[in-house]
Amino acid sequence: MFSAAAPRRGSGLGFAMPAILLLAAFFVIPVVFLLTRSVTEPQLGLQNYATLVGSSTYAKVFFNTFFVAGVVTLVTVLIAFPVAWALAIMPARWSSVVFAIILLSMWTNLLARTYAWMVLLQQTGLINRMLKAVGLIDQPLQLTNNLVGVTIGMVYIMLPFMILPLMGVIKKIDPAILQAAALCGATKWQALTRVLVPLATPGIASGALMVFVMSLGYFVTPSLLGGTANMMLAELIAQQVQSLVNWGMGGAAAFLLLLVTLGLYAVQLRFLDRKETA
Amino acid sequence: MLLDFDKLGAWKWALSAICAVMSLFLLLPILFIVALSFGNSRWLIFPPPGWTLKWYEELFADPRWIGAALTSAKIGLIVMVFSVALGLLASLALVRGSFKGREVLRAFFLTPMVLPVVIVAVALYAAFLRLGLNGTLVGFVIAHVIVALPFAIITITGALETFDPAIEDAAILCGASPWEARLRVTLPGIRHGLFSAAIFSFLISWDEVVLAIFMASPSLQTLPVKVWTTLRQDLTPVIAAASTLLVALTVLLMIAAAVLRKGKSE
Repeated sequence: MFSAAAPRRGSGLGFAMPAILLLAAFFVIPVVFLLTRSVTEPQLGLQNYATLVGSSTYAKVFFNTFFVAGVVTLVTVLIAFPVAWALAIMPARWSSVVFAIILLSMWTNLLARTYAWMVLLQQTGLINRMLKAVGLIDQPLQLTNNLVGVTIGMVYIMLPFMILPLMGVIKKIDPAILQAAALCGATKWQALTRVLVPLATPGIASGALMVFVMSLGYFVTPSLLGGTANMMLAELIAQQVQSLVNWGMGGAAAFLLLLVTLGLYAVQLRFLDRKETA
Repeated sequence: MLLDFDKLGAWKWALSAICAVMSLFLLLPILFIVALSFGNSRWLIFPPPGWTLKWYEELFADPRWIGAALTSAKIGLIVMVFSVALGLLASLALVRGSFKGREVLRAFFLTPMVLPVVIVAVALYAAFLRLGLNGTLVGFVIAHVIVALPFAIITITGALETFDPAIEDAAILCGASPWEARLRVTLPGIRHGLFSAAIFSFLISWDEVVLAIFMASPSLQTLPVKVWTTLRQDLTPVIAAASTLLVALTVLLMIAAAVLRKGKSE
């Protein structure tokens, strides 16, 4: 590679080879194989995709997936924006406490967090008993084994992924611009809606897109809090492969998920990142 | 005005309140599990009628939980070594290399992080069925290295980018061989990056559920798989005890990471 006389004469590509080979053998080839099976099993053709698009069972899975991902993204943005804004400008001793809590929650085992919500949200759980105690409800609400539970559990998991990047974007905004808005006679509300939010929009958009994409492919929380009746796309893929041993359908569903995921990432790279650097 | 905390007026309190509520929302479920793990109610009544350590006793008395934890630790440590080693080599190529297409290669290395993990899991499961690697230690390690590597590469390239290559050149000019310079100058220079990459890689493997569910067999399962299969049967407080130990580990590693960061800034 490199020789003593000219420290960086070699290209250095050789160093990347072990990682390249590993990913080629155990990532690229398996994924390509899986996707190929969607058009070769049980026979050559697009019949798996026709079933996937044509049946109302699968339509419901797609609806659940996009609906939950959409609601989770919306709620996450609405909570994350004020929090990120506050974190960006708060005195450091307070923001470091909130920051530590966010990191703790983010790094706590996913199953432990989901377990907490399964217990909290069950019929005899703390949330239902508290709502009953304050007289808001007579009968316990059904909060698990449906999309309500999935949404709560997913917002909990996604919040850090939205808050942390958004905080970075808001920190970079020049306070002088907002002072200028105030000097020009803008009320606080006008300064917020016409200056601060528009300036933070690239950050909001790229964070929202990331949360949306992650939610689309999420497996653990939907299967534990949603129950089998409210399946989402990732569960469908797992079920087709593991329980039904239908590799054709599993591959087709995986291909659709892959397509949407990569498509949305392409949008992100193409439009959002460019806007940020411009 | 809006970006000066002290000049926000009433909005200052509104923002602080939202922050406080969100912090509680993030913190309470974790504290709740810790409390439940010491509560004596099998039905997870909160606040618990009394306190006990019996769930921890049950946890430690069950060889399946201990075995799963040991398997997780073993896999996590092996994954850590491979992920850091491959990540270091790949990062050297990405940061110090001079070949074309480095940006493409960087994007390629990060794709396992971008794709939904269920797709990787199903694809690997199919491949491992053919290779006979499902339910083996090797299978687990390969699967986890694939998803841990992007994080190792991000962390190590970050450290390498801030380390001046001129220092390495200087060592070579002073008579060190290139390998000596790399091992004794560059590696110590980026040790904080390597430590963080190691912690990240271990944690990713230790916490990973989806790949593990597909790779696991009745005789070989990791801790998350054990939690997963138990959770699907019932919400026993033993899981609260296991979760509490996992939270404790997280806190310890966070403190370790904070100490590392402090060491770096000094």
